[in-house]
Amino acid sequence: MLKLDRLTKSFKNRNAVNAISLDIPEGQMVGIIGRSGAGKSTLLRMLNRLAEPTGGSIIIDGRDITALKGRDLLAWRATCAMVFQQFNLVGRLDVITNVMTGRLYHHNFLASMLQLFTDEDRARAIRALDRLGMAHTALQQADTLSGGQMQRVAIARALVQEPRFLLADEPIASLDPLNAKIVMDALRTINQDDGITVICNLHTLDTARAYCDRIIGLADGNLVFDGAPEALTEAKAREIYGAESAEAFSEGLTSTTLDFPIPAAAMAAAQPEYAMGLAR
Amino acid sequence: MSYTDIAGAGAPQQPNPTDQFEAHRKQMRREKLAMNLLFGALFIVTLAISIHVSRFYPDRLAAGIPRIFEYFGTIMPHLEWQVLFEGRNEAGRATPGSLAFWFADLELYLRLIIETIFMALTATMLGAAAAFLLCFPAAKNLAPNSAIFWISRRFMELCRGVPEILYALILVFAVGIGPIAGVIAIAIHTAGALGKLFAEVNENASLRPVEGIKSVGGNWFEQMRYGVVPQVLPNFTSYTLLRFEINVRASSIVGFVGAGGIGSELNRVISLYSDDRVVAVLILIVLTVTLIDLLSEQLRFYFIGKENLK
Repeated sequence: MLKLDRLTKSFKNRNAVNAISLDIPEGQMVGIIGRSGAGKSTLLRMLNRLAEPTGGSIIIDGRDITALKGRDLLAWRATCAMVFQQFNLVGRLDVITNVMTGRLYHHNFLASMLQLFTDEDRARAIRALDRLGMAHTALQQADTLSGGQMQRVAIARALVQEPRFLLADEPIASLDPLNAKIVMDALRTINQDDGITVICNLHTLDTARAYCDRIIGLADGNLVFDGAPEALTEAKAREIYGAESAEAFSEGLTSTTLDFPIPAAAMAAAQPEYAMGLAR
Repeated sequence: MSYTDIAGAGAPQQPNPTDQFEAHRKQMRREKLAMNLLFGALFIVTLAISIHVSRFYPDRLAAGIPRIFEYFGTIMPHLEWQVLFEGRNEAGRATPGSLAFWFADLELYLRLIIETIFMALTATMLGAAAAFLLCFPAAKNLAPNSAIFWISRRFMELCRGVPEILYALILVFAVGIGPIAGVIAIAIHTAGALGKLFAEVNENASLRPVEGIKSVGGNWFEQMRYGVVPQVLPNFTSYTLLRFEINVRASSIVGFVGAGGIGSELNRVISLYSDDRVVAVLILIVLTVTLIDLLSEQLRFYFIGKENLK
């Protein structure tokens, strides 16, 4: 159980995240929705301490994450993987090395400086890439990939961390609908098959409804909704999104709702459903 | 219909945007003109002061120029066409007027030139290694904290703020006459100068990969090694090659204070003979520097070209 207690991030004159308290049982797939600037990203980034909270605490196994320092903090980040909107891969390294960086926490100083990875690291990375249908790109330089491919590599990097939690910060906001669907399906599979808790920032409502067990709505840094997708009424959603309602409800570019059947050839090329045993 | 009408009848009356823009533009131009005049005046005052201080007056210049040519006259070789390519005779003596006579000490010169190049190579490698270690804490966006940033910045300034020749002078007293003093002196200067350039490259690097490595639990060293180094390495290589060219020139100078290389021979022939041997050494130095420049330019193009293909 991941417990947030009055977690706050305040800037000079406003609170980006305002005293949010939440209990997230392990194994859940949680979607955090809200308009731009609602504090979604800040909340997520505080969970792995890429952003420093200014108040409150995050408790897991009786330990306060907000107090971790040094190697303990690195250990927490290693167990709490993150996927970013802009993928944050190292463009000039090949794909497999990018994935293997997910093992860096377990390396000693010399091995990581000399970029020495073990056979086991390589095997683990290839298995992760294969689950996402990306094994064939292993030796390609990462910046030659398309956006959707990069995000799948980023998920593979998260997988080799063998994390308990997977944070995804707008993972599909830069992707086209087909790739958005592939990435969301992959996250859902990871959640269901591996039992990894997935906490995902999403901009569009229908994606959150389609994939998440639980939806958390933020507005101006405040928690305004917490419940099952079915409980999220249209009125409540309008309150969360405010002026951005039209955009959030429309099945736009970042939506995963495809109103046309995906051609079989595209599915075969994309592969992850097959590789992850989701093909129906 | 004017623009204000579009805003609606209920909107408060706004000033005409064109007038507003013109007024703003005129004000900016006035400010810019004042600034330009100020800088122009400052430039002229500075120029006048520096002419006065350095006594750069036309009459002194007129008196000095003939003396320059006079000196060049004394160090020019006297070559005679008939014997130009004549070798040494049985007694091992070269004929005056021949190339062999002019470059009688060629073997020594070549040995010293090779020493000069290797001094530059060693100093560049040592200096670049130090610069590589310093450039990450000295980059504003990467430094782990401001104290480390400040210390590494000041240290690099100290390294490059003093000319090589001064470091060489001190080191000759410390470690004795010979190339090692020159190598260390040039390496120190290189560490400071390259470190600053490297740090600037780092400051332009994308922080996304760094954040990616941070998020997997990588420490600061791993963030640098994986997040930054792959991005900046081609630039580092190019700057290091450029520095090698500069260091070949530097290492042919430090010999003047006894720190090894061709400079010591140049110093010797100038102060002892001031004859055609000065030009002989100068020609070899110019040839070497040009050759190294051309070679390293090719190499840099090779690296940059390789980058563009990807």
